[in-house]
Amino acid sequence: MASRKILVCCGTGCLANNSFDIYTRFLEKLKDTNTEVIPEIKATGCNGLCEKGPVVKILPDEISYFKVKAKDVDEIVSKTILKGEIIDRLLYFDTNSKKKIVSHKDASFYKHQHKIALRNIGEIDPKNIEDYKERNGFEALRKVLFEMTPDEVITEVEKSGLRGRGGAGFPTGSKWRTCSKYDNYPKYVVCNGDEGDPGAFMDRSIMEGDPNTVIEGMIICGYAINSNRGFLYIRDEYQLARENMQTAINNARKHGFLGKNILGSGFDFDLEIVRGGGAFVCGESSALMASIEGNVGEPRAKYIRSVEKGLWDKPTVLNNVETWANIPPIILNGAQWFKQIGTEKNSGTKVFSLVGKVKNTGLVEIPMGTTLRELVFDIGGGIIKDRPFKAAQTGGPSGGCIPAEYLDISLDFDNLSRIGSMMGSGGVIVMDDTTCMVELARYYMEFLSEESCGKCTTCREGINTMLNILNRITLGQGREEDIDLLISLSETIKDASLCGLGKTAPNPVMTTLKYFRDEYMEHIVDKRCPAGVCKNLTSYSIDPDTCIGCSACARKCPVNAIEGELKKPHVIHKDKCIKCGTCFTVCPSGAVKIGGGLIESYNK
Amino acid sequence: MKVIINNIEYEGLPGETLMELAKRNKVNIPNLCHKEGFEGQGRCRLCMVEAREGNKTKIVSACVYPIHDGLEVNTDSEKIRAMRKNIILLLLLKTPNNEYIKKLAEEYDVKAPERYMDFSINENCILCGLCVKACEKMGTSAISLVNRGTGKKVSTPFDDPSKDCIGCGACAQVCPTNAITMTEANGVRTIWNKEFKMVQCSICNKHYTTEEALDFIESRLGNEEEKVCDTCRKKIISEKFKESYKNIFGQP
Ligand SMILES: Cc1cc2nc3c(=O)[nH]c(=O)nc-3n(C[C@H](O)[C@H](O)[C@H](O)COP(=O)(O)O)c2cc1C
Ligand code: SF4
Ligand code: SF4
Repeated sequence: MASRKILVCCGTGCLANNSFDIYTRFLEKLKDTNTEVIPEIKATGCNGLCEKGPVVKILPDEISYFKVKAKDVDEIVSKTILKGEIIDRLLYFDTNSKKKIVSHKDASFYKHQHKIALRNIGEIDPKNIEDYKERNGFEALRKVLFEMTPDEVITEVEKSGLRGRGGAGFPTGSKWRTCSKYDNYPKYVVCNGDEGDPGAFMDRSIMEGDPNTVIEGMIICGYAINSNRGFLYIRDEYQLARENMQTAINNARKHGFLGKNILGSGFDFDLEIVRGGGAFVCGESSALMASIEGNVGEPRAKYIRSVEKGLWDKPTVLNNVETWANIPPIILNGAQWFKQIGTEKNSGTKVFSLVGKVKNTGLVEIPMGTTLRELVFDIGGGIIKDRPFKAAQTGGPSGGCIPAEYLDISLDFDNLSRIGSMMGSGGVIVMDDTTCMVELARYYMEFLSEESCGKCTTCREGINTMLNILNRITLGQGREEDIDLLISLSETIKDASLCGLGKTAPNPVMTTLKYFRDEYMEHIVDKRCPAGVCKNLTSYSIDPDTCIGCSACARKCPVNAIEGELKKPHVIHKDKCIKCGTCFTVCPSGAVKIGGGLIESYNK
Repeated sequence: MKVIINNIEYEGLPGETLMELAKRNKVNIPNLCHKEGFEGQGRCRLCMVEAREGNKTKIVSACVYPIHDGLEVNTDSEKIRAMRKNIILLLLLKTPNNEYIKKLAEEYDVKAPERYMDFSINENCILCGLCVKACEKMGTSAISLVNRGTGKKVSTPFDDPSKDCIGCGACAQVCPTNAITMTEANGVRTIWNKEFKMVQCSICNKHYTTEEALDFIESRLGNEEEKVCDTCRKKIISEKFKESYKNIFGQP
């Protein structure tokens, strides 16, 4: 039998569930276990399905265990490792096929994925450079240094059609090309690892789980544009990412991949890590560069682009973590290979972080052009409790929301912006009918008003004013004219703000207004929140004809506002009700109805 | 370099921003955070104009937009006018009691919906950043813009009296909305939570600057400054001017 490996996921999600104890327990246990071939034990990066972690994979048997605890280790060793028996209890239950699955690769969550950027994550020990090398690591670098001219490298990236994965989808090759033309030295290569979008964690996963691919991508760019120095700007909270990145940099130096005269080619390149400024806006390119320079992370006007005048006013290429991770495979396998994945104008794959009301949440890498329906239903397993799909927010807080009528949209940069949303970093939040779209828009405006750097009047005051208007609407104080003011302010904020934060901030409001205007009107005119989320606009009552008198609601009501005899219709006392919605959730017969707000509670 | 603004052609200088060109030619582009001699900041967004490049129209902020040959600009399209009104509306909501902003709103016929006006707000600062720039220009950099979002404000580090502040009052002077409190009583000036002993003008005896400010200028220039206030200095200059006028052209 080929040498066996036990891979223990030690990504941030699994670590939080004590996966490191599992790892050490395996080490201890196997030390004094008598097997013919002692398996190799590796702590790997994130497997994507964090919610079902910690994950333990056994190779080459292809056995995957989920929700493993340290106390399971002895059993795994005695049964699976020594006798080849499968432990049923630890297998993954696939909600689509309603079956337990032995190899994670057969789970619908993984089956539809196509891993390029995430190719090594979960398969290797990120701190061990040999693991990376075993999977063709640094071969692309060798290829460019000894077989390609800088111009050929850029042409290859251009031909691949790779577009930046940090949000805007700018063609990477053309960015490199422009930068290569300036003869103003030193030039810089920068990696954007700020990942401020709440809920997105693909960049963290890559930096933690496969740091070498980012390093390799950056060295290749340095060679292509004639730069000798790079910076990795990593979000302040990402301690493990910084650690793993630093280890990888140190190892790469030792192995001659970084530093002077790389692999004897005569080319010098080195990298250093910069700790992020701790604000969402620091991920914006000009704010990020200001922050690296040691200044306040405030964006500046980019009428002169950073490929010409970037860091310290020198030509600079800035790319996103995931963009960098795509570079080595493109160089090794060729632009043609990459181009045939995805769609014509959106080649390759995109990593999405799928969260919200879907059964399977986590990181998924799928070809561009996959439909939202496939993502939510095939990979995500559909909506929790099989409730109706209402909308999906893509592109982070300043993305837009997509209603059910667009479920068949194929996900790529252009399609998403066409319908008023955007790709952003690839966050997808799925919502069911219990989400109030007005409250959703309000929530994002609140986030953005706190994260605006406050430089421009339109972004700082504009978002705040929109937030005030939305606050009033959710409290039942909205007026029809408010909608016009929201639309007019949206236009101004979008057109007049300086950086991408302000320019995209109105998206959540504009898309919810576009696709769910009725819901706004119900809040404003009927004083009713159909999702039962806005407390001032919600009342609960029990339909006596539907009520079966089971008393489930009365037992669960936290303030004892429900009365009724068993098997007789129950009644909610509105003066006691705190509108928590518990009755609505627990009623087995759908007898609890959501009505409008009580007249006294709005229009002060 | 030819630049067309509202259908009239102007000659642009290399390295100029659109705002600089406009100001040089007395073309009015409304703005609050620009001042001659200061680098454009792009903060207030009131100077947004439409710029045509090829067949694309972009909305740009004039104070930071570098001009180029063939640029065509419209400073008064319907879109721009609507935008301006909204920006002034936002400022009015932020500083509902400020005279300067109230006048601006009147001038542009901006009325805020009554129920969104909160007259209890006593804010005057519109965060144009000019005071910070002025302080930077003095070489003192005692104040800066801190925090983010609506919490942004101008302050000394941690709002403490700053050791760098010399009480020169350049910030208060440049502030368009009179937002910086500077009081003077009994030969003492108070600004940014710090008190300064003032210096009297040797001619009119008026308290005109602070000791620290005078020291700062002397150490900068390397010689002792005459203690003369601005008004008297101007008088002396105009006297001198009259003298030389007389000498050259005789008694008028
Ligand atoms: C407010 C704001 C936040 C951003 N945050 C990030 C971020 O966290 N990570 C990132 O890669 N790009 C972020 N971007 C996009 C960057 O400005 C930039 O476009 C990107 O890093 C370029 O890399 P790419 O071409 O590889 O996508 C942000 C942009 C804005 C406007
Ligand atoms: S748009 Fe917002 S975040 Fe961007 S520079 Fe302006 S105030 Fe700052
Ligand atoms: S205090 Fe005055 S000058 Fe300073 S930022 Fe505020 S409004 Fe501008």
